[in-house]
Amino acid sequence: MCSREASSRKRASGAPTSGIIESDILRVSLLKSSGEYENRLGKSAVAGRFAGIVRRVLLSENFVLYLSVLYFVVLYLFMPYIASPGNLTNISSDMWPLFALVLGQMFVLILGGIDLSQTSIMALTSVIGAMLMTTELNPALFEKSPLWGILLSSGGSPISGTALAVPLGIAAMLVVGMLVGLLNGLAVAKFRMPAFMVTLVSMMFFSGLAIYLTKSENIMYLPKSYTMIGSGQIGLIPYSFFVVLVLAVAAHVVLRHTVLGRWFFAIGKSLRTSMVSGVPTDRVIIIGYILSGFFAAVASVLYSARLAGGRPTLGRNLLLDVIGAAVIGGISLFGGKGKVLWALFGVLFFILLSNSLNMLDVPFYAEPVIKGAVILLAALLDVTRTRFLAREALA
Amino acid sequence: MSHVRWTCAALAVGALVLACASCSRRGEERDQTTICFGFQDLETEFWVAAHKAITETLRSKGIRVIERNANQDANKQLEQIRAAVARGVDGIIIIPQDGESAVTIVAEANKAGVPIGVFNRPPANDSNPAIVIVADNEKISEDTVAYMAEAAKKLARKVTPLILVGDLGDSNAVARRKGFMNVLERNPDLFNPLIEVPTKWDAATAQANLEAALQRNPNVDFVFTSSDFMYPQVRAVLEPLGKWKKIGEPGHVILGGVDGDVRAAQWMKDGYVDATGVQDLFYEADALLTALLNAIEAGEKTPKKWMDDPGFALTQANMGERAMDMWGFKLLAEQGAAE
Repeated sequence: MCSREASSRKRASGAPTSGIIESDILRVSLLKSSGEYENRLGKSAVAGRFAGIVRRVLLSENFVLYLSVLYFVVLYLFMPYIASPGNLTNISSDMWPLFALVLGQMFVLILGGIDLSQTSIMALTSVIGAMLMTTELNPALFEKSPLWGILLSSGGSPISGTALAVPLGIAAMLVVGMLVGLLNGLAVAKFRMPAFMVTLVSMMFFSGLAIYLTKSENIMYLPKSYTMIGSGQIGLIPYSFFVVLVLAVAAHVVLRHTVLGRWFFAIGKSLRTSMVSGVPTDRVIIIGYILSGFFAAVASVLYSARLAGGRPTLGRNLLLDVIGAAVIGGISLFGGKGKVLWALFGVLFFILLSNSLNMLDVPFYAEPVIKGAVILLAALLDVTRTRFLAREALA
Repeated sequence: MSHVRWTCAALAVGALVLACASCSRRGEERDQTTICFGFQDLETEFWVAAHKAITETLRSKGIRVIERNANQDANKQLEQIRAAVARGVDGIIIIPQDGESAVTIVAEANKAGVPIGVFNRPPANDSNPAIVIVADNEKISEDTVAYMAEAAKKLARKVTPLILVGDLGDSNAVARRKGFMNVLERNPDLFNPLIEVPTKWDAATAQANLEAALQRNPNVDFVFTSSDFMYPQVRAVLEPLGKWKKIGEPGHVILGGVDGDVRAAQWMKDGYVDATGVQDLFYEADALLTALLNAIEAGEKTPKKWMDDPGFALTQANMGERAMDMWGFKLLAEQGAAE
């Protein structure tokens, strides 16, 4: 509206635009005489409407969801078995553990940080939880563990086989995850160390610790009530969905409806301004990393339950998936931007992509190339959309 | 705006191309037996040769093969096998990341009624039925190191042993280390304190750590690599130190490994390597495929069969008679014939 007014004002002011107006009038009268004017007017209106829809879709914050739906529909046309109940169950059960991880990563990304240690938190917490819950340990494999004879024996831990094993095991996993997050947060907030370096070192240290505690052995014989968390389902909906749903709603409420959430975004946009404005930046950063550790531990519960074992190498290759899904969803690597729904859409698209690559006849060596290309395209798209949105906001 | 359009267009076109490529092949596959071959990675010559043997044999029988690489991720392999089951494959062959994940994956296949074969890395327990072929890594390593120890005894002095340890998250690496340790424990008077070099099954890590270990302990004269694929790194470190010597030459480092690949064959022939543990790759591949295809033909949904590959240690002493039992020597001969 403003631009129209400006142009009419310019026209009213005379000379510079009068030549253009005359040539426009001449062109229109020529078109009218040839009968093409109405035709073109109609076409341009349709094109304009289409461009408007495309523009709305592209700039919509649900763009990745639309893309996922489009991708699924296109695939369905050519391979209907992608919508088979078995495969829908696969997609559903693959999504929720990754979503838990991405939710945790989202908090630190919004702060303008990054948590590379999430996968090692998964590894460490999975072996600690499994040690507490397992009902059988082979002495030949575990007697060299530093915990053998102290916490571990051939029958597992002192609480193995009791009703407390699963709740205490899970609680221990969550607490350890948060403690690692606390260490990361302290190093980043109090010592002003770069998050990348801190969490990289954490990743190395805690994955090494997980291997040391177990002497690199996987721990099996976990209680059925625990493994069911990862493999059980109601209809097509896995139990893990309900776990992550509760956490996702809580994360959404914290981010959107609390002062703490606003502080997260403020720090991500400008740490200096937040400090000047009285935001307790250190505390918020520490909370961010604790949350990341907590969600990594939740993901560890879900992944180790579905694999029916504690593994010192759990999640070793998941980091690309976590960062990829977050970026695809539109969570900015530069901080200050992110939503739970975006994380969900990113995970949905990423899992759909992975699942379809598993279902299609894509050569195995091309799979990482395609995944990498899609993440790059998503990042590119995100940059372009952000630029357009900023330009629109200025206009 | 044009950037956004182009990006979306590229995405959509990419999706369509993938889907169409799949569609065009779906027609062909309906009448064909389809087998999903999921492997944990192709990081060594052994796995590459196994992959080639399995896929080529299956394709030569007119069987459609869907290959899936899990990149050493047990969870990813589980997802890949679930997707293959949803797609309706007739059979599954896996090289699992480890024995524990094999149990879970076999259970998935059993639940879906799809026969499954496990190559070279056995499930950690036999709670779920599968066709399994496996080499005795501990014994093969032990026999190899025992021969190396005999060679060391001839020096009439203590030797300083070093082992390049694989990724201890892998049961084969654990078993090979155990075989090595058994010999050391049996001969306490022969060996100085052991030096263990972690490699994570990664050549660059192996070379860097071996270099550092030899700087601290230049007297190392007994080296065992948990996989033959790390021989080039051993040579790259020993050669500048003047320790890359043939058997019988002064300063020779007693050298051995496991797998039996082409490089081990060449360097045994050239007289640098004393012994190498051999897994009979071709036998393993053939035995597994035969059992699985028979099960598919018989309509068995959860076949159970355990097959052992005893393997053997190829040494400088028995090389004359047994060299051609090693897959690396066979491939070396083929390469020589091709040249």
